[in-house]
Amino acid sequence: MLEPTKMTRVVIAGTKDLMEPVISTFHNLNMLHITDYSEESETFKIGKPLKPASKMSEYLLSLRAITNQLGIKGIESQPTSKSRELQSRMDEKISTLQKEVSSRFDEMRNIEFRIKEKEDIVSSIKPFFGLPLSLESYSGYGSIKVYTGFIDTDLELQLSKITNNYELFIGEHEKRKIFALFIPIAFSDEVQKLLQDERSYSELKAPLLKGNPPVVLDELSKEISALKQKYAQIKAELENIKKEYSEFIIAADEYLSIETQKAEAPLKFATSPNAFIIDGWVPSLKYDEMEKELQKNTGGLVYLAKIEEKANEEDIPVELENPLMAKPFELLIDTFATPKYGEIDPAAVLFITFPLFYGIMLGDVGYGIIVTAMAYFIKTKFKTGGLNSLALILFLSGILSIIFGFIFGEFFGFPIFNVEVLGKMEPGFLGALPPIAGIHMPIHRLGEVQSLLLLTFAIGIMHIMLGLILGFRNHLIEHGLKHAIFAKGSWMMILMGGVLAIAKLMPAVTSKLPVPTGDPVFIVGSVLAVAGIILLIAGEGFISILEIPTILSNVLSYSRILAIGLSSAGIALVVNRLSMDLFIKPHGELMGGGIVLALVGVVILFIGHLINLLLGILGPGLHSLRLQYVEFFTKFYEGGGKKYIPFGYKRKYTEE
Amino acid sequence: MVVADAGMIAIGAGIAVGLCGIGAAMGEQAIGAAAVGAMAEDEKFFGKGLLMTVIPESIAIFGLVVALILLFVFNV
Repeated sequence: MLEPTKMTRVVIAGTKDLMEPVISTFHNLNMLHITDYSEESETFKIGKPLKPASKMSEYLLSLRAITNQLGIKGIESQPTSKSRELQSRMDEKISTLQKEVSSRFDEMRNIEFRIKEKEDIVSSIKPFFGLPLSLESYSGYGSIKVYTGFIDTDLELQLSKITNNYELFIGEHEKRKIFALFIPIAFSDEVQKLLQDERSYSELKAPLLKGNPPVVLDELSKEISALKQKYAQIKAELENIKKEYSEFIIAADEYLSIETQKAEAPLKFATSPNAFIIDGWVPSLKYDEMEKELQKNTGGLVYLAKIEEKANEEDIPVELENPLMAKPFELLIDTFATPKYGEIDPAAVLFITFPLFYGIMLGDVGYGIIVTAMAYFIKTKFKTGGLNSLALILFLSGILSIIFGFIFGEFFGFPIFNVEVLGKMEPGFLGALPPIAGIHMPIHRLGEVQSLLLLTFAIGIMHIMLGLILGFRNHLIEHGLKHAIFAKGSWMMILMGGVLAIAKLMPAVTSKLPVPTGDPVFIVGSVLAVAGIILLIAGEGFISILEIPTILSNVLSYSRILAIGLSSAGIALVVNRLSMDLFIKPHGELMGGGIVLALVGVVILFIGHLINLLLGILGPGLHSLRLQYVEFFTKFYEGGGKKYIPFGYKRKYTEE
Repeated sequence: MVVADAGMIAIGAGIAVGLCGIGAAMGEQAIGAAAVGAMAEDEKFFGKGLLMTVIPESIAIFGLVVALILLFVFNV
């Protein structure tokens, strides 16, 4: 918690004949982060992949192609296959699969193409239903030119200007006039020109087939349905293959991925003609386990050593380490940047502050319940990955929203307890609530703006102070005490001093009293702030004076905690009053305006709250995150670490 | 408190919120366009892009703070 996992640098050296068992051992352990060897020298070169590498990746490639063609997705299953069995059947099974699947797949493509072709012909035949000719009559003449197409105007009238020596058939297709014109070839130029100038003309070529259109169509339809049947049959066969082999394919995919990884591992090693060296990092707590396992599997013939020498911080891989509940918040950290090794990992702080800010912003029992339920649903749907983490974050935030909903006394904007809002007494459905610990409950946000505003500033000051303290610690570790005081101590003094001074100054300014120069708190605050500024200038140079106003804007920025909540509460209130007072209970009488009006009111109520809920999920989430990233992280967080990616694989479908 | 003064304060609060909103919107439109562009290149930019886009929203919040102070502190 708060710090990344401690890492130890290890170097492993051995003779080349031991390389394979060493690789298998590390792969099974899944704990060594291997540093790529990149500086080639005379004696040491980057290693070459083990022999089976190219064959394995070839298998993997064809297997992935088959997976795609069959549409196989990962399944939840128990490990069923032993690696050894898989290996023995691999060659034969993959080649059979490839043959079976790709030949069927090709045939399906072919059939698809033929169906498309025939369907095109069908659609081009249909218009000719309107004409009393069989399809062969439209082509095959020596001295006659045939024109067919759609046209809207009276063709005969225009043709009479050219010649009377023609034959014209006219019919109808889908309410458009279709014609077939047979004319001696001598007139074809003139007719061509006539048709080109006619805007309503669109050409339609008759397909080169024989027979009456309906008969031809009938035949074609039969052919198409036969093809479709065949297609379905092949598809069913593929489906059977999929059912039969999917377990094997998934297991083989995993096995091959593992073997390829292992075979390609030497690419990260330094190798000489007879030896190899692996350089890497391992979580310090796991070192002993690794050592024991390695010696067991190699008979103690491999040299293994810890390197105690101080390493460059950026080269150390970072593994975040947090308790189960704070783990999802690592997602928010990784979205920003992976912390450097030795830097504070703020996931545990986010675990508290993110849902807290979210809860105060949303602060409504009804919305809170919906958010919590939604998060729970997503969590059960997605068991791993980013969405699962996000759902957990949302779940906690939803619960906090419910708690603050009770404090603010809001249920979908309706008061839970009796409360006075904007000068109007609103009866709550749970009646009056007695004061708790001397505080008048509930605290309605629209009624207590001033005090809640001060509260948000207080939250902001504490949050920023915490950020500065973490920053102080980071600087202390990295650069020493003096630097930490200059860089972060100065800011703490400015913040504390500024708060004290302004706390005394503000009431005086608003009530037009003289500045309380004699007040000891004001004096202490001012002195502290000025001392802080001097320290800051001494440490960071004169230009840093420009940065001083940012601390004020940082604190003011926390007023968004109230602002987002106010707007959400305001919208809910408006929706409720609008639908209740105007539609559902006009003049204080239930359904006083009739059932239709009341239904309109219900629709308004529903849509209004839906919109507000969507805004209510997005707004608080974003703004709570922004307060973390912009106001909090900038005080201490640098990031730029390298993620810890151990060499290995978590087996899901296969066993060693 | 004279009624006219209360009115002026309300107008002042309105101007503070309104102008700050316009300012924030102008900032966000440029950043938002750039963020969408960056996201088209690399989807991983979504988180950072979203964040960058909401940064100018502070300006709107400052306007709100000024308005609230006007309404609740000076309007006594």
